[in-house]
Amino acid sequence: MRNLLAGVIVSVAAVLALSSAAIAQTGESQSNQTSKAKSPWKYYPMDRAVGPGGPAPKRDLSGTWAGPGSGAAVPRGTNAQDPTAPPMTPLGQRLFDMHKPIGKYSPAGTNDPHTRYCDPFGFPQNMTDEIRGITITTLADRTFILIQYMNIWREIWTDGRALPTDVESGKDGLDPRYNGYSVGHWEDDYTFVVDTTGLDPNTWATKNGYPHTINAHVQERFHRDSKNDMTLTMTMDDPKLYTKQFFLGEQHFRWIPNQMFDEFNCIPSQVQEYLKEMGDPAGYDLHAAPQRR
Amino acid sequence: MKTKAMVIVAFMAGVLAISLPMFAHHGAAAYDMSKPIVLKDAVITEFLWINPHPLIKADYKDEKGNVQHWTMEMGSTPASQLIGWTRTSLKPGDVVTLYVWQAKTGLTVGRFNKVVLADGKTMRDTQTGADNGGRADTGVGRSR
Repeated sequence: MRNLLAGVIVSVAAVLALSSAAIAQTGESQSNQTSKAKSPWKYYPMDRAVGPGGPAPKRDLSGTWAGPGSGAAVPRGTNAQDPTAPPMTPLGQRLFDMHKPIGKYSPAGTNDPHTRYCDPFGFPQNMTDEIRGITITTLADRTFILIQYMNIWREIWTDGRALPTDVESGKDGLDPRYNGYSVGHWEDDYTFVVDTTGLDPNTWATKNGYPHTINAHVQERFHRDSKNDMTLTMTMDDPKLYTKQFFLGEQHFRWIPNQMFDEFNCIPSQVQEYLKEMGDPAGYDLHAAPQRR
Repeated sequence: MKTKAMVIVAFMAGVLAISLPMFAHHGAAAYDMSKPIVLKDAVITEFLWINPHPLIKADYKDEKGNVQHWTMEMGSTPASQLIGWTRTSLKPGDVVTLYVWQAKTGLTVGRFNKVVLADGKTMRDTQTGADNGGRADTGVGRSR
């Protein structure tokens, strides 16, 4: 029996070792695809950048990156999918209690406006939820983040302008936006810092239902770790709702060798069909064990 | 002896599965994951390759000859593609055996487990496609 058990353990360990070794091999990319000819128009999640790929270029995030939902073996990050909020104010708690996130209520019971109607996530949720692929590109006065899920782009001004100070009051003459108003600067040669405010108050800050106000201040720090690696950390200051700074998580991104990703959208008519045929009849069970995502 | 060995394999597979990034938009709390319902000789009526989850629709004739109309959801399209699914994997008229985790509501809807095609080939769900309801896409999307 011992021999058999040992054999099993050795076999599984060997499989793990082989897969690790394969991943650790040097070279630009690793492919587990079949020998079928590949289309230059298609994203191949098993074609993965291997290793750091060289030093990080200075002041450059440009390119197309695989996120944690890409299927490209990108590490999952910290706190990003189901973040834990700091203690909330009474107003924050009241708003939070009104939200019924999908993780607990399933599609049938949630009141998440994205799940039920494909309403935009809005920022910051669109940088933490369904992060499959992003492209970053730069003009002289702006940096754009193009988000694969829902074909969204964010505009980050780098011309030195100041952020609006109080969109909520209307004093700035500005309306809140799904992606808010963003400015960015290089803190050092490898760290690009983006500050955002003026967020649409109908959106949720996180998938698990934490709220934000219009005047919430979100800071993103994009760090280019190497040619193939980028790390994003996000925090939110929203003193009307939270008693301390909210750590929204850390996420990792990996360079996509062929710079392609596939389309993936929430289509309202498809969601209505899904809910009618499947999601609503399936119901929900609040007493079930907690579900991830 | 064999049982113990299988327990170890299952445990290690579980460890692997936990390390995988998740693709699901929601969990499986709405479904009875204790035992899949088997729909032998079910006839596919529609295969909807849609977001957020593809839907398989099939008619199944029970032992009394009554036709049940079933609908079941799969893992998302990008996740399913990673383990070989395409929008043409199932076609109306295909006669197959479907395994499904039925909704706790008792209606004929559920979470797809696996399908055995007419040629004997088995295709599974990404998240609940293992025979015990666990993930079936081990090796895909694993953290480096």
